[in-house]
Amino acid sequence: MKKTDIGVCLVMYAVCALFLYMTLQLKKAAQIYPLCIIALLAGLTTLHVINMVVAAKREGVTSGLEDFKDFLPGQFFTLLAMIVIYIAVMPYVGFYIASILFMTASLLFLRVKIWQIVLSEIAIFALVYCAFTLFLEVKLPAGSLLG
Amino acid sequence: MLETLSLMAHGFVNALYPVNILAMIAGVTIGIVIGCLPGLSAAMGVALLLPMTFSMDASTGMIMLGAIYCGAIFGGSISAILIHTPGTPASAATAIEGYQMTLKGQAGKALGIACVASFFGGLLSCISLYFFAPLLGQLAMKFGSPEYFWLSIFGLTIIAGVSSKSMVKGLMSGALGLLLSTIGMDPMQGVKRFMFGQSSLYEGINVTCALIGLFSMSQALILAEAKIKARARATQFKDRMLPTKEEMKTIAPTIGRSWIIGNLVGILPGAGASIACFMGYNTARQFSKHKELFGHGSYEGVAGSEAANNAVTGGSLIPMLTLGIPGESVTAVLMGGLIIQGLTPGPNLFVGETAKMTYTFFAGFVLIQFFMLGIGLIGCRGFANIARLSDAILIPAVTILCVVGSFAIHQNFVDVVIMLIFGVIGWLARKFGLNNAAIVLALILGPIGEKGLRRSLLLSNGDPRILFSTPICWVLVVMCVIGILSPILMDRMTKKAENAD
Repeated sequence: MKKTDIGVCLVMYAVCALFLYMTLQLKKAAQIYPLCIIALLAGLTTLHVINMVVAAKREGVTSGLEDFKDFLPGQFFTLLAMIVIYIAVMPYVGFYIASILFMTASLLFLRVKIWQIVLSEIAIFALVYCAFTLFLEVKLPAGSLLG
Repeated sequence: MLETLSLMAHGFVNALYPVNILAMIAGVTIGIVIGCLPGLSAAMGVALLLPMTFSMDASTGMIMLGAIYCGAIFGGSISAILIHTPGTPASAATAIEGYQMTLKGQAGKALGIACVASFFGGLLSCISLYFFAPLLGQLAMKFGSPEYFWLSIFGLTIIAGVSSKSMVKGLMSGALGLLLSTIGMDPMQGVKRFMFGQSSLYEGINVTCALIGLFSMSQALILAEAKIKARARATQFKDRMLPTKEEMKTIAPTIGRSWIIGNLVGILPGAGASIACFMGYNTARQFSKHKELFGHGSYEGVAGSEAANNAVTGGSLIPMLTLGIPGESVTAVLMGGLIIQGLTPGPNLFVGETAKMTYTFFAGFVLIQFFMLGIGLIGCRGFANIARLSDAILIPAVTILCVVGSFAIHQNFVDVVIMLIFGVIGWLARKFGLNNAAIVLALILGPIGEKGLRRSLLLSNGDPRILFSTPICWVLVVMCVIGILSPILMDRMTKKAENAD
């Protein structure tokens, strides 16, 4: 049994509780189907808890962190924060500016050589422009700050 | 019969339009590039490029997605052979013999055999696609609401099959997907459910956004978490690529056997190319007259694995196109492509005007194999260098394509946010042993099952016996039981094949 599985089960129960609360706000006839699915998820989670207890008695308990042995929290969370900021600022500064800033910042952070950064940015923006702007005629966000 | 032949001929005429030829060339090339990059999968590639097919004609869009699928499955063999790193799990068995051939200075020959075997595997799989798909389609025409309910339950039993480690965790992932599929308008009562005040969730979670997030964005996050390593330089090769007549005679029976294996594995729910390649490889060794060459660079080993994994492609399309049941993650993404085009996978694809689109796609799928052979043989050296592309560049590049792809669906930011949320869900699911493919399958099949169940109960005034009222219902019930039991059998067969290696 992995200790991390306890967290998985808790999250599943929390999801069940959240959806149960929202389901009870619906009118009666609309409650039945979601309630069945919630019961199914809660039942399977409980089955997993039972499996975990059996496995813990038979094989002992491991941390589960072995799946994270190559995990670099500094790198991962910095990149995740960059992605979130990139999506958050895009409506204000527009797609192209936000994307250039994001790509440059993330590639510099990952220590990619300058000539590779320039080359990869030219390639990716040429692809996006040709495929989405010219071919699909998608109006990519221009950015409210830039009109 | 005559009508079917006419549709087939019409399909080939349509598939040969310049726009479709261009879609095949572009799709196969992109697919091979994605396939040969270790860390990127076929499902991820198809999901990432799904938005590019929005404005295309339905048949052209499907041809392009099919070409990416076939190209990616073959592309995985390039890095497997040259740098001993399978580009996709479907080429894991190819790496065993392919890399040994590279060490012996026969890299070109290994790539040539992989290319030829992939071509024949894919081409022969089209026969079963042409033969079985219309038959199953005709059967599915007899389906009513109770049958559709059982069909979706059968599809959901596939979840047990796609669960890699723990079946219970796979089923939990499926139940989570089912719960997420209830977001949006109640189909019978017209009540808003779990919309969090977002009117854009009225029609439920956009499946394309979820697909891009679960398969593509989550992959970028997986790449972002580990140390960026420089990839090994691909071996330069100058030897002859095309197999000689003698070599073709040696590998022909292996290709035939792998075709049958790959096709059956493709049609079976829950199995996929990663299982087929090991089964094809193992069967090649069992029947080989030169067993001593296995493990030291056997032509037959490469051919067995590659023919089997490409034979899966045609087979796996059959349940998706005829019954609307995607057997694994790539076909789930392809099904998303059909839904985007306003088409409902199932028997309706084989009647009226839609049948022309379907047969054009089938014909395109045949032609894709020829382009895969040509582009594969000509471009192997170039693709080998692409396999060295650093993860550091892939992370922001994939992220930008995910963002622009999800934005392009309805041109609003809510879809981008949903994509990111599903990206994080997908990353967490992979880290904690849950299953993204199961979530997607449930997300797609949930609404079909809900409508089937509730309509049936409405027709019978709440009497559940309607769900067991026809012989087809009972057949589907039996298939559900088989669907739950088959992964256990598959698991044993895979372990047996792997242990034999």
